[in-house]
Amino acid sequence: MELSCLRAIILVNNLLKEKHEDVFMSILKLLLILMVLSVFVSPIFVLKAYALSQDVASSVVSQAEQVLVSAYEAVLEAEQAGGNVSGLLARLNEAGQLLSQARVSYRVGDFDGAVGFANLCSEIGKGVQVEAYGFRSLASEGVVQRFRWTMIGSILGVTIIFGASFLGWRVFRQRYYQRVLRMKPEVVSDES
Amino acid sequence: MNLEDYRTLFAATTLGLVLIAALPTVSMVVSFPIGAERFSELWVLGPTHMAEGYPFNVRVGEQYSLFVGVGNHMGYSAYYLVYVKFRNQTQPLPDTLNAVPSSLPPLYEFRAFVLDGGTWEAQLIFTFIGVSHLGNSSFVSEMSINDVVFSVDCYSGWDFENRGFYYQLFFELWLYDASLQRFQYHNRFVGIWLNMTS
Repeated sequence: MELSCLRAIILVNNLLKEKHEDVFMSILKLLLILMVLSVFVSPIFVLKAYALSQDVASSVVSQAEQVLVSAYEAVLEAEQAGGNVSGLLARLNEAGQLLSQARVSYRVGDFDGAVGFANLCSEIGKGVQVEAYGFRSLASEGVVQRFRWTMIGSILGVTIIFGASFLGWRVFRQRYYQRVLRMKPEVVSDES
Repeated sequence: MNLEDYRTLFAATTLGLVLIAALPTVSMVVSFPIGAERFSELWVLGPTHMAEGYPFNVRVGEQYSLFVGVGNHMGYSAYYLVYVKFRNQTQPLPDTLNAVPSSLPPLYEFRAFVLDGGTWEAQLIFTFIGVSHLGNSSFVSEMSINDVVFSVDCYSGWDFENRGFYYQLFFELWLYDASLQRFQYHNRFVGIWLNMTS
């Protein structure tokens, strides 16, 4: 009785073992299929991610370029208004260097580097633009003030010249008449 | 001189003085054209910051240094772009007659904002990384400029007349045109010839 029971247990155990092995084998097969699939599918995801980062980098670099151009145009306006822009140009040069590095990084495929440099460039560019607008309005005010004082000076100068000339002419004319009146007519004998 | 002559003299002198007094104000309103020619300069200096000692016989792995500079005489603060390009003897240079840049892609670039009457300078350090020689031809696959490695892929045949494998590193000057809102080739370029020895 005991022997038959033991046999039964061994039989059940073997059956379970076989079933486990089957399950294990099927999991292994599934894993193998998944691995093979991933080998073929992963490049698609990698390429997609690469293209995505390339697109992002391209857009960020283009944006930085636009910010730098806007900042430069603001500096030009400040310069035309008569402001001293040498400090702003020094900062624009810093930003320009960063943009060059961003472009070069992009060209060699370092998109993360390109984004980093471009963001730094944008930051400086925006700061310069704000300062340039301030410079421009200050310079414009200065120009208006200078124009006002120059015009007042010119008007005063012209008035003084006209007045002095008028008075001078009157005095001169009076003296001229007096000189003419003091002249004595001379009688010249006609010897012919 | 009679009184009429004196009056004319007085009137002319007064008019002259009035014009002199009004000139500062007039000059602020009316802008007179400046006769000076507007132009930009582009130069390359050797490693000692002089127009000498330019690298010529170059080899793999060695570092070479140059200085590139820009001078602004445009009458305003200008925004420049300097492209660094590399070519062999047969590849195109910029066309100065038609003001067309070289069609070769740029490797490196510099951007410079220069005050009117001011100058700008930057250093360029370059090294050849991948160079191979096969019979009568040499091939440069990679070079680094300011620590950035570029794929060049440029062949050069043996120049029997000048006895060497010649390449040229050249710089193109571009100027930002605010009215067009883009860079335009400024019709200036400079370059140095390099003989790849090994």
